[in-house]
Amino acid sequence: MTPRRSLVHIGTALAAAALLFWTVFPFLWILLTSLKSPGDIISVPPTFIFTPTLDNYAALVIGEQRGQYSSTRPDFPNYFLNSIIISGGAVLLSLAAGIPSAYALARFDFPLKGALAFTFMSFRFVPFIAFVIPLYLVYQQLGLYNTYSGLILAYQLITLPFTIWMLRSFFQEIPLEIQEAAKIDGCTWFGVLTRVILPLSMPGLAVTIILGFIFCWNAFNYPLMLAGRQTFPVTVGAIQFISYEQVLWGQMAAATLVSALPQLILSLMVQKYIVRGLTMGAVK
Amino acid sequence: MTPKRRRRRQEAFLPYLLMAPALVLLAGILYPFSVGIYYSFTSYWLQYPKRFRFVWFDNYISLFEEALFDRALQFTLGFTVAAVILQVGLGLAVALFLHGRIPGRAVLRALMLLPLMIPPVITALMWKIMMASTNAGIINYLLSFLGLGPVNWFGSPWGAIASVLIIDTWGNLPFVALILLGALQALPTEPYEAARVDGASPAAMLRYITLPLLSPFLILAGTFRAMDSLRVFDVIYATTMGGPNDATTNLHIMAYQFAFQWYQIGKGMAQAVVLLILVVLVSYLLLRLWNRASERTVQ
Repeated sequence: MTPRRSLVHIGTALAAAALLFWTVFPFLWILLTSLKSPGDIISVPPTFIFTPTLDNYAALVIGEQRGQYSSTRPDFPNYFLNSIIISGGAVLLSLAAGIPSAYALARFDFPLKGALAFTFMSFRFVPFIAFVIPLYLVYQQLGLYNTYSGLILAYQLITLPFTIWMLRSFFQEIPLEIQEAAKIDGCTWFGVLTRVILPLSMPGLAVTIILGFIFCWNAFNYPLMLAGRQTFPVTVGAIQFISYEQVLWGQMAAATLVSALPQLILSLMVQKYIVRGLTMGAVK
Repeated sequence: MTPKRRRRRQEAFLPYLLMAPALVLLAGILYPFSVGIYYSFTSYWLQYPKRFRFVWFDNYISLFEEALFDRALQFTLGFTVAAVILQVGLGLAVALFLHGRIPGRAVLRALMLLPLMIPPVITALMWKIMMASTNAGIINYLLSFLGLGPVNWFGSPWGAIASVLIIDTWGNLPFVALILLGALQALPTEPYEAARVDGASPAAMLRYITLPLLSPFLILAGTFRAMDSLRVFDVIYATTMGGPNDATTNLHIMAYQFAFQWYQIGKGMAQAVVLLILVVLVSYLLLRLWNRASERTVQ
């Protein structure tokens, strides 16, 4: 090998190492922090070698007072459950409303089609605060503030346009001939949807469900304003470790990892489709 | 009516019937939204409900007289320009790098999804731990080996601006990189073969083939990033709360403060509307640019 080529190789390896470090190091450091006792966390300089402890995770789950590991936020398991309920409910509602809509937009021609599709897409442009201020006022009046159903409805702003656009793009990929053949065999529109379109777009459906769930799980600003202590999801829950008196660094580190864990697993399941999902089907 | 005609009439209604559930939800969303727009023309202040009256454009005019609004607008635009340039530039570099023959490319690619898919507020909290401004913060400790720092990350105006930019970039760089990597892998091979025959250098191929073919994707990725950078909220809320001394207060944070800290619903909504107009305007201009660029590459 010529010296010049080996220099290129070394440069490539260094760049790969730098990219790896930049991507992974924050996770490693937070993992280490979550395993440290309060004394180790504030040590100067930061230590890489220490006696690991699971106390931060225990405080997260049990939330009891344990000497200096007092957790002021004992209901993190509850927040986790809230995240599952709200995200799951929002995805289900979006599917129920979104599947027939996506079918209509993918397979029928009707006068308002373009306008309706665009209206749903246009939510992507609105800053959340423009929705959340009036929602906050309406929810106070209707008793939807700090309820699961209120949050599931608000989360439709995240999942419904996404579900409709994603499913529409998947439905459109199914060849028209199959649908026509089913019609000749006597299938009604309902038969076409349930026996042809849905079975053939199962992968697309799975991707839409998983990505929709991820986006709901990531939501922070809607629940920040519309949820209360009983309905906080993990994203709002994690920020509660910062109080005026102190920041519970160790427990916050443990909480961030626990909050991110479902995302880490789910996103690896749908990695091929993530760009498509994030651009609402604009980039495949 | 003949059965055939009845069937055709049913067909005409069917799409609307299918869309009915989504339209009901849409109406449920649009109703509060339009009430909110109406509030932006009123003096609605939760603490003084009796002062409620229609004030036309007073809220909007008073915004432009507010010194903080000026600074927030500047920060919003400056942050967006910086974030888009930084993320598209680095994203392009990462995409070109991963497009080459790199050991462990698939693993790197998969790992890059992680910062992208975890909640932005969680990303912010992770970096808040690492950017502690004492020497116990790992970032300042690592910087000390380079002879830098210690940086007062969240306590000084420029430190806070830099930290918000770094955190936002960590979370969103993979988005740009993945879009561009996908585009690179779908590029036609013929132009490169022709260029190689002509003896073109790799730099020339990048400049005269790759970048022009990639330009629609660069603009599209930039558009998505600009839309989100204009309204970045979670990261700022979790780290600096707009401080110190309002250095990282953007229009979104300012609207939040008006509405939820001072309960001035009218003014908060006016801010939100101004931000919405800004997002629509910028996206419209960028999407037009994207249209032109994609037409050019097709030709």
